[in-house]
Amino acid sequence: MLVYILRRLPQTILVILGVTLITFIALQIGGDPTYLFVSERASPEEIIATRIKLGFDKPLYVQYLTYLKNLLLFDFGDSLYFRQPAMKVIFETLPATIELTIFSMLIAVFGSIPFGVYAAINRGKWLDGTLMAIAMLGQSVPNFWLGIMCILYISLNISWLPISGHVPFLMPIFQGDFMQGIKNFPTTVTYLLLPSFAVAFYSLSRNARLVRSSMLEVLSQDYVRTARAKGLTEYTVIMRHAMRNAWLPVVTIIGLEFGFMISGVVVVEVVFAWPGLGRTVFDAIAHRDIPLVQASVVVIALFVIIINLITDLIYAKLDPRIKL
Amino acid sequence: MKKLITGVAIVFGLILPSTYTLAAPPDDTFVVGLPTDTKGLEPAQISSRHTANIMKHMFGTLFFISEKGTLDPNLAESYSVSDDAKEYTFKLKEGLTCHDGEPLTAEDVAYTFNRVVDPDLAFVGNSAGFVFPSIDFQEARADSELEVTIVMGAPNHVALGLISEVYVHCKDSYEKMSKEEAAENPIGSGAYEFVKWDKGNQIVMKKAKGSAVSANFENLIWRVIPEASTRTAELIAGNVDMITNASPDQVDAIDASNSAKVQKVSGTRRMYVGFHQGEEYAVTEGGAAIQKAEVRRAIQYAVDVEAICANLLNAPCERATGLVNPNNAHPTLKPYPYNPEIAEYLLDQAGYPRDGNGVRFEITLEAGQGRYLNDKNVVLAICQYLDDIGIKTTCDIMDWSSVYVPKIRKKEAGPMFFLGSGGGTWNPLYDMSDLATVESGPNYTKWTNEEWFKGWKVINNSMDPYVIRREIDRMLEVFYNEGPWLLLYFQPDFYGVSNRVKWQERRDEEVDIFDASLAN
Repeated sequence: MLVYILRRLPQTILVILGVTLITFIALQIGGDPTYLFVSERASPEEIIATRIKLGFDKPLYVQYLTYLKNLLLFDFGDSLYFRQPAMKVIFETLPATIELTIFSMLIAVFGSIPFGVYAAINRGKWLDGTLMAIAMLGQSVPNFWLGIMCILYISLNISWLPISGHVPFLMPIFQGDFMQGIKNFPTTVTYLLLPSFAVAFYSLSRNARLVRSSMLEVLSQDYVRTARAKGLTEYTVIMRHAMRNAWLPVVTIIGLEFGFMISGVVVVEVVFAWPGLGRTVFDAIAHRDIPLVQASVVVIALFVIIINLITDLIYAKLDPRIKL
Repeated sequence: MKKLITGVAIVFGLILPSTYTLAAPPDDTFVVGLPTDTKGLEPAQISSRHTANIMKHMFGTLFFISEKGTLDPNLAESYSVSDDAKEYTFKLKEGLTCHDGEPLTAEDVAYTFNRVVDPDLAFVGNSAGFVFPSIDFQEARADSELEVTIVMGAPNHVALGLISEVYVHCKDSYEKMSKEEAAENPIGSGAYEFVKWDKGNQIVMKKAKGSAVSANFENLIWRVIPEASTRTAELIAGNVDMITNASPDQVDAIDASNSAKVQKVSGTRRMYVGFHQGEEYAVTEGGAAIQKAEVRRAIQYAVDVEAICANLLNAPCERATGLVNPNNAHPTLKPYPYNPEIAEYLLDQAGYPRDGNGVRFEITLEAGQGRYLNDKNVVLAICQYLDDIGIKTTCDIMDWSSVYVPKIRKKEAGPMFFLGSGGGTWNPLYDMSDLATVESGPNYTKWTNEEWFKGWKVINNSMDPYVIRREIDRMLEVFYNEGPWLLLYFQPDFYGVSNRVKWQERRDEEVDIFDASLAN
């Protein structure tokens, strides 16, 4: 396993390079951002001095190479907007995004199992049709619209869940106050339910369809017929024999889904006033806060890479035929 | 599976009862919903109205600008001006303290002002970037325990108001903090003291003991809710007491709820279309046309500003007669009426008749999107009005922060461009200072009219209020007849206010919670 992880390292480096280059080019398309960081009444001399101080006077390739050089030294630069180290800004908002993403993943993955299994077991019946129609809907509606509808109908009309806001769970733990984090947990979950659902619904729907089709294929296999012939209960046949193989495609998708969810999280964090990294990046792009955007993209890319690695390791564990 | 479902139901049953009485504010707390978070709590680095509204509750100023536009004592009880009008000496009230208990004296005020221009700290906020250059700040010195003098390079008729924009803090606490620490741990001198800042979520304050400014609520919370519809939902649900920037398309929903209403006010932000007077646009067809005052005057008649306000901004308005807010504006000038026939006649007279295609000349109107109230639709409407009188107008609407702002700041937007400029209620010169010199940063049109700019010499060299006001009126007439702005409106502000509280809005986008109270 260690060898496999080490073999993935060059790939990781290439991905980070590619991600930083694409981000850098995308941010430079808007031109020189110096004017956003000086006062309205700045003199031409002040503007030039600021441009030099921020490094925007240098050729683009020099700016990029300087950034890479600093990256090797783990220097992600200072946020131009917040005037603080970019990583400090990221670490202040990352825990909230981790909470949201993990909860959304849990909903998407574990919510899809009963969805897909019931649809497969009841193939051709009304339950199958209804569940698949819901799945189709889930893949059609935009997550920000879903979020707003949840706010309107669940929070505002029936006051069942909070409209917006956040009570931290991970941040107190990271800061060493474990008990406070645990104490906050129930409230954190109540604030998490709606935004997580808005983020997860698309993935849940897609996974449910995947579980359904995978389950249908597995249920038609000889070994399942054998299990039934042995007199095992239907529950045992499905949960112990069929599920394990039906799960494999879903596990494959989890790694890809993480990256997809991060993009969904950006918009949902704005709708639900969730103080996470997604919203920070969204604002940083608007403010042309180049160091913060680049640092955020590197952090997110690293997360996606690690999750994909873990996914591959889990997949190998689940399917003995897979050799790393 | 059944066990799983049962387990989930139990967990939800435990969690959900804790949800929803959480959010309604208690009687001693006022909650404001804001669209953006602040980027820091450093008093010398404020550069947005939202942050200024938060900071004014934590920090005192020497004087403060009331909602009527008067300058009233705050930390200082009085002031005097030297004979050459370059020095303002303030006498502080006795017994003032900062929130850490340190006495606030003249030395602290002098430190506050001198710190703003500390080159090591390199602040670029409102104080360092606007106030201090405007008053040509030289130094601040403590003359005694309670007397502090602000020294300027030249007399300035709006000095008192500008000095009142500087947030005062104590010396000892800020000397001990680094710039980064100061940005996150403010120690103020105002009505409320800082409790905590959950970034991206909320800023919490509590009433400070012994403050020079009184306040009714014990606790003040500023909640960050970026999405307008979410802000509205929180207001209607009763979870926040007031929201700023209520969306015009949600006014009816708020008013129809039983829990809140919208308070509209005509703000002080001057919305206009600039006519670029620079040579770079004078070589283009449209740019050359708008160099002529007659053409600019004709265009004034072409746009139905009242209709724009009523239909696109959901608020009636009176058209501006100049760049000064109504309470200080020229006493007799009337707004240009909407009269396309006059516009067409004047354009014919100016030498721009319609050609065979019905076009007089072509021009581009540039604008940024998403900064001002319904800006895109306002700009599209203006383009259509101009098309209607034969000026074929291309609307070029671009991203505000990444594309438009740099163009504006480089004075390259044009030949026509849509923009807003913050104003005030306390002195016409404050509004006029956008065009204080040809080189002024906000002179985005590169206007060089001699009749206007020579007026500043008269104003700056006189201490007679009658002479000054007469010159202001003369300049405003020049601006009315030949100015570089298509005069539009003062942007209305929409505040959603819960029926739980009584709160009075201000015209100048400032938010005061000091006098807010419970409704019953």
